[in-house]
Amino acid sequence: MKKTVIYLFLSLIIVVILVIVIGDFRSTRPDRMSGNPYELDIDGIRSVDPDLITYKETKNYKIDAAQAGGIAVAGGKIFLVADDFLQVFDYGGKQYFREPLPEQARCLEVTATNDIIVGFRNSIALLSPEGEEIWRSEPLDERAVITALAVKNSTIFVADAGNRAVHRYTIDGKYVDSFEGKTRIEGNHGFIIPSPYFDLGVSPDGELWVVNPGKHSLENYTDDGNLRSFLENISREIEGFGGCCNPAHIDIMADGSFVTSEKGVVRIKIHEPSGELSTVVAPPDKFREDGEAPDVAVDEEGIIYALDYDKNLIRIFEPK
Amino acid sequence: MKKKKTFNRRDFIQSSIRASLVVSVGGIGGLALKNGTKKDWVWQIDPFECNQCGRCATECVRNPSAVKCVHAYDLCGYCDLCGGYFIPGAVKLDTGAENQLCPTAALIRKFIEEPYFEYEIDEDLCIGCAKCVKGCTSFGNGSLHLQIRHDLCRNCNECSIARVCPSKAIKRVPADTPYLIKGTFTRTTDS
Repeated sequence: MKKTVIYLFLSLIIVVILVIVIGDFRSTRPDRMSGNPYELDIDGIRSVDPDLITYKETKNYKIDAAQAGGIAVAGGKIFLVADDFLQVFDYGGKQYFREPLPEQARCLEVTATNDIIVGFRNSIALLSPEGEEIWRSEPLDERAVITALAVKNSTIFVADAGNRAVHRYTIDGKYVDSFEGKTRIEGNHGFIIPSPYFDLGVSPDGELWVVNPGKHSLENYTDDGNLRSFLENISREIEGFGGCCNPAHIDIMADGSFVTSEKGVVRIKIHEPSGELSTVVAPPDKFREDGEAPDVAVDEEGIIYALDYDKNLIRIFEPK
Repeated sequence: MKKKKTFNRRDFIQSSIRASLVVSVGGIGGLALKNGTKKDWVWQIDPFECNQCGRCATECVRNPSAVKCVHAYDLCGYCDLCGGYFIPGAVKLDTGAENQLCPTAALIRKFIEEPYFEYEIDEDLCIGCAKCVKGCTSFGNGSLHLQIRHDLCRNCNECSIARVCPSKAIKRVPADTPYLIKGTFTRTTDS
Protein backbone atom coordinates (compact mmCIF):
# COMPACT_ATOMS: atom_id res chain seq x y z
CA MET A 1 0.00 0.00 0.00
CA LYS A 2 2.78 2.42 0.95
CA LYS A 3 4.65 1.60 -2.26
CA THR A 4 1.57 2.28 -4.36
CA VAL A 5 1.22 5.76 -2.83
CA ILE A 6 4.89 6.49 -3.53
CA TYR A 7 4.54 5.32 -7.16
CA LEU A 8 1.42 7.43 -7.59
CA PHE A 9 3.18 10.44 -6.09
CA LEU A 10 6.24 10.00 -8.35
CA SER A 11 4.01 9.57 -11.42
CA LEU A 12 2.19 12.76 -10.52
CA ILE A 13 5.50 14.64 -10.21
CA ILE A 14 6.65 13.30 -13.60
CA VAL A 15 3.37 14.41 -15.19
CA VAL A 16 3.69 17.87 -13.62
CA ILE A 17 7.29 18.18 -14.84
CA LEU A 18 6.27 17.09 -18.35
CA VAL A 19 3.42 19.62 -18.40
CA ILE A 20 5.83 22.40 -17.33
CA VAL A 21 8.44 21.41 -19.95
CA ILE A 22 5.89 21.14 -22.78
CA GLY A 23 4.21 24.38 -21.67
CA ASP A 24 7.56 26.15 -21.69
CA PHE A 25 8.42 24.68 -25.07
CA ARG A 26 5.14 25.90 -26.54
CA SER A 27 5.32 29.26 -24.80
CA THR A 28 5.38 32.42 -26.94
CA ARG A 29 6.97 34.69 -24.38
CA PRO A 30 9.32 37.33 -25.82
CA ASP A 31 12.53 35.37 -25.24
CA ARG A 32 11.09 32.27 -26.88
CA MET A 33 10.52 33.65 -30.36
CA SER A 34 9.02 31.31 -32.87
CA GLY A 35 10.03 31.92 -36.47
CA ASN A 36 8.58 34.99 -38.12
CA PRO A 37 6.41 33.80 -41.01
CA TYR A 38 6.71 37.26 -42.56
CA GLU A 39 10.48 37.60 -42.19
CA LEU A 40 12.16 39.82 -44.75
CA ASP A 41 15.61 38.36 -45.16
CA ILE A 42 18.13 41.05 -46.04
CA ASP A 43 21.16 39.05 -44.97
CA GLY A 44 21.95 38.42 -48.62
CA ILE A 45 22.31 42.14 -49.22
CA ARG A 46 24.22 42.74 -46.00
CA SER A 47 26.75 40.01 -46.67
CA VAL A 48 29.68 40.85 -48.92
CA ASP A 49 32.04 38.49 -50.72
CA PRO A 50 35.26 38.70 -48.62
CA ASP A 51 37.32 38.82 -51.84
CA LEU A 52 35.75 42.19 -52.63
CA ILE A 53 36.96 43.71 -49.35
CA THR A 54 40.48 44.97 -49.90
CA TYR A 55 40.67 47.38 -46.97
CA LYS A 56 41.03 46.76 -43.25
CA GLU A 57 40.41 48.98 -40.26
CA THR A 58 43.74 49.88 -38.70
CA LYS A 59 42.99 52.59 -36.18
CA ASN A 60 40.18 54.59 -34.69
CA TYR A 61 39.97 57.71 -32.59
CA LYS A 62 37.23 58.52 -30.11
CA ILE A 63 35.51 61.87 -30.58
CA ASP A 64 34.70 63.87 -27.50
CA ALA A 65 31.45 65.41 -28.76
CA ALA A 66 27.71 64.93 -28.61
CA GLN A 67 27.11 65.38 -32.32
CA ALA A 68 29.80 64.88 -34.94
CA GLY A 69 29.50 67.05 -38.06
CA GLY A 70 31.98 66.34 -40.83
CA ILE A 71 35.52 65.28 -41.60
CA ALA A 72 38.22 66.31 -44.09
CA VAL A 73 41.86 65.37 -44.56
CA ALA A 74 44.60 67.45 -46.18
CA GLY A 75 48.34 68.02 -45.84
CA GLY A 76 48.85 65.26 -43.30
CA LYS A 77 46.12 66.56 -41.00
CA ILE A 78 42.65 65.40 -40.03
CA PHE A 79 40.06 68.19 -39.74
CA LEU A 80 36.90 67.56 -37.76
CA VAL A 81 33.87 69.66 -36.97
CA ALA A 82 31.62 68.46 -34.19
CA ASP A 83 29.15 70.23 -31.90
CA ASP A 84 30.37 73.83 -32.02
CA PHE A 85 34.11 73.31 -32.39
CA LEU A 86 36.79 72.65 -34.99
CA GLN A 87 39.50 70.16 -34.13
CA VAL A 88 42.67 69.51 -36.10
CA PHE A 89 45.08 66.67 -35.43
CA ASP A 90 47.70 64.62 -37.19
CA TYR A 91 47.26 61.11 -38.55
CA GLY A 92 48.62 59.75 -35.29
CA GLY A 93 45.82 61.43 -33.34
CA LYS A 94 47.94 64.20 -31.81
CA GLN A 95 45.89 67.37 -31.55
CA TYR A 96 47.17 70.59 -33.15
CA PHE A 97 44.32 72.75 -31.90
CA ARG A 98 40.67 72.88 -31.00
CA GLU A 99 38.79 76.11 -31.70
CA PRO A 100 35.23 77.04 -30.75
CA LEU A 101 32.77 77.88 -33.54
CA PRO A 102 29.80 80.26 -33.30
CA GLU A 103 27.27 77.44 -33.84
CA GLN A 104 27.04 73.77 -34.67
CA ALA A 105 28.97 73.01 -37.84
CA ARG A 106 27.88 70.32 -40.28
CA CYS A 107 30.63 70.05 -42.90
CA LEU A 108 34.01 71.43 -43.87
CA GLU A 109 36.59 71.58 -46.65
CA VAL A 110 40.24 72.58 -46.82
CA THR A 111 41.58 74.88 -49.53
CA ALA A 112 44.88 74.54 -51.39
CA THR A 113 46.34 77.21 -49.08
CA ASN A 114 45.21 75.22 -46.00
CA ASP A 115 42.43 77.64 -45.11
CA ILE A 116 39.38 75.89 -43.72
CA ILE A 117 35.84 76.42 -44.99
CA VAL A 118 33.17 75.47 -42.48
CA GLY A 119 29.50 74.95 -43.29
CA PHE A 120 26.81 75.80 -40.74
CA ARG A 121 23.08 75.24 -41.22
CA ASN A 122 22.57 78.22 -43.52
CA SER A 123 25.92 79.98 -43.80
CA ILE A 124 29.59 79.27 -44.42
CA ALA A 125 32.77 80.71 -42.96
CA LEU A 126 36.40 80.80 -43.99
CA LEU A 127 38.92 80.18 -41.23
CA SER A 128 42.68 80.59 -41.30
CA PRO A 129 44.85 77.44 -41.01
CA GLU A 130 44.98 78.26 -37.28
CA GLY A 131 41.18 78.32 -36.99
CA GLU A 132 40.63 82.09 -36.82
CA GLU A 133 37.58 83.38 -38.67
CA ILE A 134 38.40 85.41 -41.79
CA TRP A 135 34.84 85.95 -42.99
CA ARG A 136 31.40 84.53 -42.55
CA SER A 137 28.74 84.65 -45.26
CA GLU A 138 25.30 86.19 -44.98
CA PRO A 139 22.81 83.49 -43.98
CA LEU A 140 20.82 81.82 -46.75
CA ASP A 141 17.05 81.56 -46.37
CA GLU A 142 15.34 79.60 -43.58
CA ARG A 143 14.93 76.49 -45.72
CA ALA A 144 18.68 76.12 -46.23
CA VAL A 145 20.41 73.03 -44.88
CA ILE A 146 24.04 73.06 -45.91
CA THR A 147 25.39 69.52 -46.09
CA ALA A 148 28.66 69.65 -48.04
CA LEU A 149 31.35 71.92 -49.42
CA ALA A 150 33.92 71.72 -52.20
CA VAL A 151 36.48 74.19 -53.44
CA LYS A 152 38.07 74.73 -56.84
CA ASN A 153 40.62 77.49 -57.27
CA SER A 154 38.74 80.59 -56.11
CA THR A 155 35.24 79.11 -56.19
CA ILE A 156 33.43 77.46 -53.28
CA PHE A 157 30.57 75.09 -54.08
CA VAL A 158 27.98 74.69 -51.34
CA ALA A 159 25.45 71.83 -51.33
CA ASP A 160 22.14 72.97 -49.83
CA ALA A 161 19.79 70.04 -49.23
CA GLY A 162 16.97 72.27 -47.99
CA ASN A 163 16.82 74.30 -51.21
CA ARG A 164 17.94 71.36 -53.40
CA ALA A 165 20.59 73.55 -54.96
CA VAL A 166 24.32 74.07 -55.25
CA HIS A 167 25.39 77.63 -54.43
CA ARG A 168 28.58 79.21 -55.70
CA TYR A 169 30.64 81.62 -53.62
CA THR A 170 33.95 83.30 -54.31
CA ILE A 171 36.81 82.54 -51.98
CA ASP A 172 36.22 86.06 -50.57
CA GLY A 173 32.77 85.04 -49.38
CA LYS A 174 30.72 86.69 -52.13
CA TYR A 175 27.63 84.78 -53.28
CA VAL A 176 27.72 84.26 -57.06
CA ASP A 177 24.74 82.12 -58.09
CA SER A 178 22.98 78.78 -57.60
CA PHE A 179 21.93 75.88 -59.80
CA GLU A 180 19.42 73.12 -59.19
CA GLY A 181 20.67 70.51 -61.64
CA LYS A 182 17.77 71.04 -64.01
CA THR A 183 18.21 70.55 -67.75
CA ARG A 184 16.01 70.81 -70.78
CA ILE A 185 15.76 67.01 -70.90
CA GLU A 186 12.14 65.98 -70.28
CA GLY A 187 11.60 64.50 -66.85
CA ASN A 188 14.77 65.95 -65.38
CA HIS A 189 13.70 67.55 -62.13
CA GLY A 190 17.14 68.49 -60.99
CA PHE A 191 18.41 67.42 -57.61
CA ILE A 192 16.08 65.08 -55.76
CA ILE A 193 16.86 65.27 -52.06
CA PRO A 194 14.41 63.25 -49.96
CA SER A 195 16.47 63.59 -46.79
CA PRO A 196 19.37 65.84 -45.73
CA TYR A 197 22.09 63.90 -47.54
CA PHE A 198 23.54 65.87 -50.43
CA ASP A 199 27.26 65.71 -51.10
CA LEU A 200 29.61 67.00 -53.74
CA GLY A 201 33.32 67.05 -54.53
CA VAL A 202 35.90 68.32 -56.97
CA SER A 203 38.12 65.73 -58.61
CA PRO A 204 41.88 66.22 -58.95
CA ASP A 205 41.18 67.11 -62.60
CA GLY A 206 38.98 69.96 -61.44
CA GLU A 207 35.64 68.35 -62.32
CA LEU A 208 32.67 69.11 -60.10
CA TRP A 209 30.73 65.98 -59.12
CA VAL A 210 27.41 66.31 -57.32
CA VAL A 211 25.42 63.42 -55.86
CA ASN A 212 21.80 63.31 -56.94
CA PRO A 213 20.71 61.01 -54.11
CA GLY A 214 17.08 60.56 -55.19
CA LYS A 215 18.35 59.23 -58.51
CA HIS A 216 21.24 57.28 -56.98
CA SER A 217 23.55 59.03 -59.40
CA LEU A 218 26.77 61.00 -59.49
CA GLU A 219 26.46 63.97 -61.81
CA ASN A 220 29.28 65.91 -63.40
CA TYR A 221 28.66 69.64 -63.82
CA THR A 222 30.52 72.50 -65.38
CA ASP A 223 31.47 75.20 -62.91
CA ASP A 224 28.45 77.26 -63.90
CA GLY A 225 26.03 74.40 -63.32
CA ASN A 226 25.49 72.68 -66.69
CA LEU A 227 25.14 68.92 -66.57
CA ARG A 228 27.97 67.29 -68.49
CA SER A 229 27.59 63.59 -67.69
CA PHE A 230 26.31 61.27 -65.00
CA LEU A 231 26.91 57.83 -63.52
CA GLU A 232 23.79 55.99 -62.40
CA ASN A 233 23.45 52.51 -60.98
CA ILE A 234 20.22 51.82 -59.08
CA SER A 235 20.56 48.53 -57.27
CA ARG A 236 20.53 47.23 -53.72
CA GLU A 237 23.34 44.86 -54.64
CA ILE A 238 26.91 45.75 -53.77
CA GLU A 239 27.59 47.01 -57.32
CA GLY A 240 25.09 49.86 -57.12
CA PHE A 241 23.30 52.33 -54.89
CA GLY A 242 19.92 51.48 -53.46
CA GLY A 243 17.54 52.65 -50.80
CA CYS A 244 16.71 56.26 -50.28
CA CYS A 245 19.24 59.05 -50.81
CA ASN A 246 22.41 57.22 -51.73
CA PRO A 247 25.31 57.63 -51.86
CA ALA A 248 24.94 59.74 -48.73
CA HIS A 249 28.56 60.91 -48.69
CA ILE A 250 31.41 60.87 -51.19
CA ASP A 251 35.02 61.88 -51.56
CA ILE A 252 37.20 61.70 -54.64
CA MET A 253 40.55 59.90 -54.75
CA ALA A 254 43.72 61.07 -56.50
CA ASP A 255 42.94 58.85 -59.53
CA GLY A 256 39.38 60.16 -59.83
CA SER A 257 37.75 57.13 -58.18
CA PHE A 258 34.83 57.79 -55.86
CA VAL A 259 34.75 56.77 -52.21
CA THR A 260 31.08 56.34 -51.38
CA SER A 261 29.24 55.88 -48.11
CA GLU A 262 25.66 54.61 -48.06
CA LYS A 263 22.81 54.76 -45.58
CA GLY A 264 20.19 52.08 -44.98
CA VAL A 265 22.52 49.16 -45.53
CA VAL A 266 25.54 51.09 -44.30
CA ARG A 267 28.69 50.38 -46.31
CA ILE A 268 31.72 52.14 -47.76
CA LYS A 269 32.91 51.31 -51.27
CA ILE A 270 35.17 52.66 -53.99
CA HIS A 271 33.83 53.11 -57.51
CA GLU A 272 35.96 53.60 -60.61
CA PRO A 273 35.85 57.01 -62.33
CA SER A 274 33.57 55.27 -64.85
CA GLY A 275 31.18 54.20 -62.08
CA GLU A 276 31.88 50.46 -61.81
CA LEU A 277 32.49 49.03 -58.37
CA SER A 278 36.20 48.87 -57.67
CA THR A 279 36.38 47.52 -54.12
CA VAL A 280 34.64 47.39 -50.78
CA VAL A 281 36.26 49.34 -47.95
CA ALA A 282 33.91 48.46 -45.10
CA PRO A 283 30.99 46.01 -45.38
CA PRO A 284 27.69 46.51 -43.49
CA ASP A 285 28.75 44.30 -40.57
CA LYS A 286 31.31 46.98 -39.63
CA PHE A 287 28.48 49.36 -38.73
CA ARG A 288 25.40 49.44 -36.55
CA GLU A 289 22.51 47.82 -38.40
CA ASP A 290 20.26 50.89 -38.27
CA GLY A 291 23.17 53.32 -38.19
CA GLU A 292 23.91 56.50 -40.09
CA ALA A 293 26.09 56.64 -43.17
CA PRO A 294 29.55 57.80 -42.09
CA ASP A 295 31.08 60.89 -43.66
CA VAL A 296 34.19 59.91 -45.61
CA ALA A 297 37.48 61.53 -46.54
CA VAL A 298 40.43 60.10 -48.42
CA ASP A 299 44.07 61.14 -48.30
CA GLU A 300 46.67 61.18 -51.07
CA GLU A 301 47.72 57.60 -50.28
CA GLY A 302 44.22 56.19 -50.58
CA ILE A 303 43.69 55.80 -46.83
CA ILE A 304 40.05 56.34 -45.95
CA TYR A 305 38.83 58.20 -42.87
CA ALA A 306 35.23 57.45 -41.89
CA LEU A 307 33.34 59.50 -39.36
CA ASP A 308 31.15 56.98 -37.55
CA TYR A 309 28.27 59.00 -36.07
CA ASP A 310 26.86 56.07 -34.13
CA LYS A 311 30.05 55.06 -32.35
CA ASN A 312 31.48 58.61 -32.21
CA LEU A 313 34.69 57.44 -33.81
CA ILE A 314 36.99 58.42 -36.62
CA ARG A 315 37.75 55.05 -38.21
CA ILE A 316 40.75 54.63 -40.45
CA PHE A 317 40.72 52.05 -43.24
CA GLU A 318 43.93 51.18 -45.09
CA PRO A 319 44.50 48.88 -48.09
CA LYS A 320 45.30 45.33 -46.96
CA MET B 1 -23.00 84.37 35.78
CA LYS B 2 -22.77 82.76 32.38
CA LYS B 3 -24.60 79.52 32.10
CA LYS B 4 -22.37 76.65 31.03
CA LYS B 5 -23.57 75.06 27.79
CA THR B 6 -24.20 71.37 28.11
CA PHE B 7 -23.55 68.92 25.24
CA ASN B 8 -26.38 66.46 25.50
CA ARG B 9 -27.21 63.36 23.45
CA ARG B 10 -29.44 65.31 21.06
CA ASP B 11 -26.59 67.70 20.22
CA PHE B 12 -24.26 64.77 19.65
CA ILE B 13 -26.70 63.09 17.24
CA GLN B 14 -27.27 66.35 15.34
CA SER B 15 -23.53 67.03 15.01
CA SER B 16 -22.93 63.48 13.86
CA ILE B 17 -25.60 63.74 11.17
CA ARG B 18 -24.19 67.06 9.97
CA ALA B 19 -20.65 65.63 9.85
CA SER B 20 -21.83 62.53 7.94
CA LEU B 21 -23.61 64.73 5.42
CA VAL B 22 -20.51 66.86 4.88
CA VAL B 23 -18.32 63.76 4.45
CA SER B 24 -20.80 62.14 2.04
CA VAL B 25 -21.22 65.22 -0.13
CA GLY B 26 -17.48 65.84 -0.12
CA GLY B 27 -16.78 62.21 -0.98
CA ILE B 28 -19.27 62.11 -3.82
CA GLY B 29 -17.94 65.39 -5.18
CA GLY B 30 -14.38 64.16 -4.91
CA LEU B 31 -15.19 60.92 -6.71
CA ALA B 32 -17.04 62.78 -9.45
CA LEU B 33 -14.08 65.13 -9.88
CA LYS B 34 -11.66 62.20 -9.98
CA ASN B 35 -13.71 60.35 -12.60
CA GLY B 36 -14.15 63.51 -14.61
CA THR B 37 -10.44 64.24 -14.80
CA LYS B 38 -9.14 60.65 -14.89
CA LYS B 39 -6.76 60.06 -17.76
CA ASP B 40 -7.55 57.06 -19.95
CA TRP B 41 -4.69 55.13 -21.42
CA VAL B 42 -4.45 52.96 -24.50
CA TRP B 43 -1.79 50.76 -26.08
CA GLN B 44 0.37 52.04 -28.90
CA ILE B 45 3.51 50.99 -30.77
CA ASP B 46 6.62 53.12 -30.42
CA PRO B 47 7.86 53.00 -34.05
CA PHE B 48 11.44 53.62 -32.96
CA GLU B 49 11.39 50.55 -30.71
CA CYS B 50 9.63 48.17 -33.12
CA ASN B 51 11.91 45.50 -34.56
CA GLN B 52 9.43 44.21 -37.15
CA CYS B 53 9.20 40.71 -35.62
CA GLY B 54 5.85 39.91 -37.27
CA ARG B 55 4.03 39.18 -34.01
CA CYS B 56 1.56 42.02 -34.46
CA ALA B 57 0.11 39.97 -37.32
CA THR B 58 0.01 36.66 -35.47
CA GLU B 59 -0.71 37.55 -31.82
CA CYS B 60 -3.51 40.13 -31.99
CA VAL B 61 -6.91 38.86 -30.80
CA ARG B 62 -8.47 40.55 -33.82
CA ASN B 63 -8.25 38.77 -37.14
CA PRO B 64 -6.94 40.45 -39.20
CA SER B 65 -4.83 42.32 -36.69
CA ALA B 66 -5.79 45.76 -35.36
CA VAL B 67 -2.22 46.74 -36.08
CA LYS B 68 -1.85 48.41 -39.46
CA CYS B 69 0.94 49.98 -41.39
CA VAL B 70 0.76 53.76 -41.59
CA HIS B 71 2.74 56.07 -43.84
CA ALA B 72 4.45 59.30 -42.77
CA TYR B 73 4.38 60.91 -46.20
CA ASP B 74 6.55 63.83 -45.17
CA LEU B 75 9.41 61.41 -44.46
CA CYS B 76 8.99 59.40 -47.67
CA GLY B 77 11.43 59.82 -50.53
CA TYR B 78 8.78 58.83 -53.11
CA CYS B 79 11.44 56.56 -54.59
CA ASP B 80 11.11 54.40 -57.66
CA LEU B 81 13.12 51.62 -56.00
CA CYS B 82 11.12 51.52 -52.75
CA GLY B 83 12.54 49.24 -50.08
CA GLY B 84 9.09 48.74 -48.59
CA TYR B 85 7.42 47.83 -51.86
CA PHE B 86 9.88 45.68 -53.78
CA ILE B 87 11.39 42.35 -52.82
CA PRO B 88 15.18 42.30 -52.80
CA GLY B 89 16.30 41.46 -56.32
CA ALA B 90 12.98 42.40 -57.94
CA VAL B 91 12.96 41.42 -61.59
CA LYS B 92 11.48 44.73 -62.63
CA LEU B 93 10.40 47.91 -60.86
CA ASP B 94 6.73 47.53 -61.66
CA THR B 95 3.55 46.47 -59.89
CA GLY B 96 3.86 42.81 -60.90
CA ALA B 97 2.89 40.51 -58.03
CA GLU B 98 6.22 38.72 -58.30
CA ASN B 99 8.04 41.95 -57.40
CA GLN B 100 5.93 42.96 -54.43
CA LEU B 101 7.08 42.50 -50.87
CA CYS B 102 3.66 42.74 -49.20
CA PRO B 103 2.10 39.28 -48.80
CA THR B 104 -1.39 40.74 -49.22
CA ALA B 105 -0.63 43.43 -51.82
CA ALA B 106 -1.79 46.05 -49.33
CA LEU B 107 0.79 48.59 -50.46
CA ILE B 108 -0.35 50.47 -53.55
CA ARG B 109 2.19 52.14 -55.81
CA LYS B 110 1.06 55.18 -57.75
CA PHE B 111 3.04 57.09 -60.35
CA ILE B 112 3.13 60.81 -59.57
CA GLU B 113 5.59 62.22 -62.08
CA GLU B 114 9.01 61.11 -63.23
CA PRO B 115 10.78 59.89 -61.06
CA TYR B 116 8.32 60.05 -58.11
CA PHE B 117 6.04 57.29 -56.88
CA GLU B 118 3.59 57.44 -54.00
CA TYR B 119 2.91 54.46 -51.75
CA GLU B 120 -0.47 54.13 -50.09
CA ILE B 121 -1.73 51.48 -47.66
CA ASP B 122 -4.98 49.63 -48.21
CA GLU B 123 -5.92 49.09 -44.56
CA ASP B 124 -8.53 46.47 -45.36
CA LEU B 125 -5.77 44.29 -46.80
CA CYS B 126 -2.99 45.16 -44.34
CA ILE B 127 -2.38 42.48 -41.71
CA GLY B 128 0.31 44.36 -39.78
CA CYS B 129 3.09 41.91 -40.63
CA ALA B 130 5.72 44.71 -40.83
CA LYS B 131 7.44 43.24 -43.86
CA CYS B 132 7.21 46.57 -45.69
CA VAL B 133 8.26 48.37 -42.49
CA LYS B 134 11.46 46.34 -42.35
CA GLY B 135 12.16 47.01 -46.02
CA CYS B 136 11.52 50.73 -45.62
CA THR B 137 13.57 50.94 -42.42
CA SER B 138 16.46 48.92 -43.87
CA PHE B 139 16.73 50.71 -47.20
CA GLY B 140 14.79 53.93 -46.92
CA ASN B 141 13.81 56.69 -44.53
CA GLY B 142 11.58 54.54 -42.33
CA SER B 143 8.42 56.38 -43.31
CA LEU B 144 6.33 53.18 -43.19
CA HIS B 145 5.64 52.06 -39.62
CA LEU B 146 3.08 50.17 -37.56
CA GLN B 147 0.36 51.61 -35.34
CA ILE B 148 -2.49 50.07 -33.37
CA ARG B 149 -5.70 51.38 -34.94
CA HIS B 150 -8.01 52.24 -32.08
CA ASP B 151 -11.10 51.99 -34.24
CA LEU B 152 -10.21 48.30 -34.65
CA CYS B 153 -8.55 47.55 -31.30
CA ARG B 154 -10.81 46.25 -28.51
CA ASN B 155 -8.95 48.47 -26.03
CA CYS B 156 -9.51 45.75 -23.47
CA ASN B 157 -6.38 46.70 -21.54
CA GLU B 158 -5.00 43.18 -21.98
CA CYS B 159 -3.04 43.57 -25.18
CA SER B 160 -1.97 40.11 -26.26
CA ILE B 161 0.75 41.52 -28.54
CA ALA B 162 2.28 43.61 -25.76
CA ARG B 163 2.76 40.44 -23.74
CA VAL B 164 4.97 38.86 -26.37
CA CYS B 165 6.55 41.91 -28.03
CA PRO B 166 10.28 41.13 -27.90
CA SER B 167 11.38 44.77 -28.09
CA LYS B 168 8.77 46.08 -25.63
CA ALA B 169 7.66 48.53 -28.29
CA ILE B 170 4.02 48.50 -27.20
CA LYS B 171 3.43 51.12 -24.55
CA ARG B 172 0.60 52.81 -22.72
CA VAL B 173 -0.13 56.26 -24.09
CA PRO B 174 -2.78 58.81 -23.08
CA ALA B 175 -6.07 58.15 -24.87
CA ASP B 176 -6.28 61.75 -26.01
CA THR B 177 -3.02 61.32 -27.97
CA PRO B 178 -3.36 57.69 -29.01
CA TYR B 179 -0.99 57.61 -32.00
CA LEU B 180 2.79 57.84 -32.26
CA ILE B 181 3.19 58.85 -35.88
CA LYS B 182 6.74 59.36 -37.12
CA GLY B 183 7.51 62.92 -38.03
CA THR B 184 5.39 64.49 -35.31
CA PHE B 185 6.58 61.87 -32.82
CA THR B 186 10.35 61.63 -32.64
CA ARG B 187 12.68 59.28 -30.86
CA THR B 188 12.51 59.73 -27.11
CA THR B 189 15.72 60.09 -25.14
CA ASP B 190 15.19 56.79 -23.37
CA SER B 191 14.53 54.99 -26.67
